[in-house]
Amino acid sequence: MKKFFALLLALTMVLSLAACGSKPAEPTAAPTEAPAVDAPATEAPATEAPAPAELEPVTLKMWFHGSTVTPEASAKVMETLNPILQEKLNVTLEPIWGTWGDFDTSVTTALAGGDDVDIYFTCNWSGNEYNSYARDGYYVKLDDLLDTCAPELKAAIPEGIWDCAKTNGAEGMGIYAVPGLKDTATQNCWDVNGTLLAECGYNVDEVCAAGLDYFSAEFEEMLAAAKAKKGNDFYPLLIEPAVLERMVTHSAIVTGDLSGANVLSYYYDAEHPATDLGNAIVNKYGTDEFAAFAAKTYEYAQKGYISPSCQNPNTANDYRTACQSSGEYLFGTQSYAFGCELDFSNARGIDVRMVPETAAYMDCTSGQGAMMAISATSKNPERALMFLNLLNTDSEIMTLVNYGVEGYTYNKNDDGTITFVDEVRATYSPWTNGVGNVRILPPTAQQGTDFWTRFADYYNAAETLPYGGFVFDNSVCATESAAIANVYAEYAFNLMSGAVNPDEVLPEFLEKLNEAGMETLVNAANEQMTAYLAG
Amino acid sequence: MAKKNHRLNSISAGTEAVFHIIIALFALCCIIPFIFVIIISFTDEASLREIGYSFVPQAWSTYTYQFAFDKLPQIWRSFFNSIVITVVGTVLSTFMCALYSYALYRPDFRFRNFFNYLSFFTMIFPGALIPTYIISKQVLGLSENYAALIVPLLVSPFNIIVMRTFFKSSCPMELIEAATIDGAGEYSILFRIVAPIAKPGIATIALLNSLAYWNDWFQSMLYIRQNKILQPLQALLMELQNNVEYLNRMAGQMGTAAVMESMKAPTQSLRMALVVMIVLPIACAYPFFQRYIVAGLAVGSVKG
Repeated sequence: MKKFFALLLALTMVLSLAACGSKPAEPTAAPTEAPAVDAPATEAPATEAPAPAELEPVTLKMWFHGSTVTPEASAKVMETLNPILQEKLNVTLEPIWGTWGDFDTSVTTALAGGDDVDIYFTCNWSGNEYNSYARDGYYVKLDDLLDTCAPELKAAIPEGIWDCAKTNGAEGMGIYAVPGLKDTATQNCWDVNGTLLAECGYNVDEVCAAGLDYFSAEFEEMLAAAKAKKGNDFYPLLIEPAVLERMVTHSAIVTGDLSGANVLSYYYDAEHPATDLGNAIVNKYGTDEFAAFAAKTYEYAQKGYISPSCQNPNTANDYRTACQSSGEYLFGTQSYAFGCELDFSNARGIDVRMVPETAAYMDCTSGQGAMMAISATSKNPERALMFLNLLNTDSEIMTLVNYGVEGYTYNKNDDGTITFVDEVRATYSPWTNGVGNVRILPPTAQQGTDFWTRFADYYNAAETLPYGGFVFDNSVCATESAAIANVYAEYAFNLMSGAVNPDEVLPEFLEKLNEAGMETLVNAANEQMTAYLAG
Repeated sequence: MAKKNHRLNSISAGTEAVFHIIIALFALCCIIPFIFVIIISFTDEASLREIGYSFVPQAWSTYTYQFAFDKLPQIWRSFFNSIVITVVGTVLSTFMCALYSYALYRPDFRFRNFFNYLSFFTMIFPGALIPTYIISKQVLGLSENYAALIVPLLVSPFNIIVMRTFFKSSCPMELIEAATIDGAGEYSILFRIVAPIAKPGIATIALLNSLAYWNDWFQSMLYIRQNKILQPLQALLMELQNNVEYLNRMAGQMGTAAVMESMKAPTQSLRMALVVMIVLPIACAYPFFQRYIVAGLAVGSVKG
């Protein structure tokens, strides 16, 4: 009798493994824990996607980033969302609404402490580094699971973005998180105060159509005109030094560079980013491009076009945000998001124009900007992925999670667009891009009916950088990295913001970088890149 | 010869004036930032945009307070949370601290060295964040409840040492012996002899504890995630402040997302109003404790 029960138990196990999807031959994709997607032993394993009644009820905890959600609003939305989820997947969602400020510390603690959270937001820029946590085995590898549990999701996201999501994780190269289909390309733009430019007597449309060149005499003329118009306390060039440098020199970010300090780069063609220029990863401060940029920026700073507040790392961020929101600038730097001019113009009360400096391109930064990873501690990794599949492909679910409940946070208009109830929306606003596939959301009335089509067209046209998918693992030279980060902190900001004369300081900076082991770092990066391109 | 009417310990008028000026300046340095915060919280947002922080704003406004009370119900709830946590936490932790240090103070307690060492050890080697977190959350179940905000701060070895020293200096062993001869049991000695004498010390510890509980936001960040209705006021303020700081810092990586999200952030005057709401109640606690602390200064001095 005992043997019989043991056999029955084993049979249940085997069948339940297979019940996850239509490919019963590959159930081993699950991580080490026994998957909990249990179906009754009598079920035939050959069925297509399982009906919800066959699935055991499961509660999924999902941790979002950058949310502004009050407990009452969250409860209200979950009241509507959870019955639908139970019907479709037999899943109950328990969201954890992480805010911008507490996300890094509390998520790293939760990951290290092995909390029972199923799905974590992750990315490659916040403290919660996608690549490093995948490497340390905190996230479930998804490559095989995607085919069985989330075929629609796999099809919905373009191949190029999946490639960007690949990283060298604990179980080898692969996908360790589901990338969100959002603003998936980077385009560096000049943020132009059209109102002020017109006041200075320029034809805004013409200037914007012709493009702006940081090194040209016309650029400087416009700065001088704005300064003359607004007085001596006005600084027309509102910069974020690191962004300005990337933008003007057309240098790319190497993912996996020192955290908080970009020292590695390669250059791309501003008009056709996909063109392989055949160059290797370099120390970005040792190039002619950087020298020219630093000299020009210093010149502009000397002429009073850059505020001293922008040149002090302690005040730069606050100052920039304040000037942007009050429209106190002529030219700023911005990484473009489709449709943002409209939002900015409304918020700042001026005519904001975006003038492209480079074409839109994709690299790791765009593919790994907002992702959802399944925690290795999750007891139901398959179900978590099935939920992500639904969230990213089902417009109703995505709208509920992202925008809330109709009649509560928003109202539908006749043309299919929606209008937010601003007061309630303020109590329920998750970070839209951080939830997942934003392209299946209904457009708002300001965006217009065809917004998401235009959005998709814009981003689908973006080219991929030739080395866009490469992720550098800097742990191979940890000592050098630490020393270089110190040197960087001492010099880089001052040079990029034009606070110091590059003729005197740049050689000193480069010498100190070399002493700190810059060459070792560059060589290691190039070695890894060669291996990446070969593999 | 007319005898000069001199008070004992008096100093010359000139020196006294200098001291008064120095102390007045010091007091000003302490109070001005707070007055400034109050002024900013009553400043009109348009004035903040135009001329920035100023002692004399262009326009006054109580809009922020109205907004906070009408539109943010969580503020009231957080206010209530802070008070509950502070009152319950202070009573419990002070009681535990007094009992623990009383045992350590009694020379006839056999294991005093061991327990002394036990508390002192955690002062030198505190548990690291992650192990503490795992024990608190997974073993003790301190998660999404008031206990998570109270228990982690219950025992402070520093307070135990202060309290023990206070017992030592204010209650001589002879007193306890005398009470024993008079027929007092252990509990009578503690509650009727030692505790009244040690009142100033206990009040000091209670003040330290209530400050620690009132100002704590870290426990909330770690243990209150889903049930955010339990957040104390400090955690709420910290969250708003950190959001703004984070978005500024990440602007380079996040691009437009950071700029758009910053627009949602509460205004500066709202944050200042929250600061005022946090500081005022605890400032009211000081006068209450003050008489004990002043009394404590004289304890142990030669009495004449």
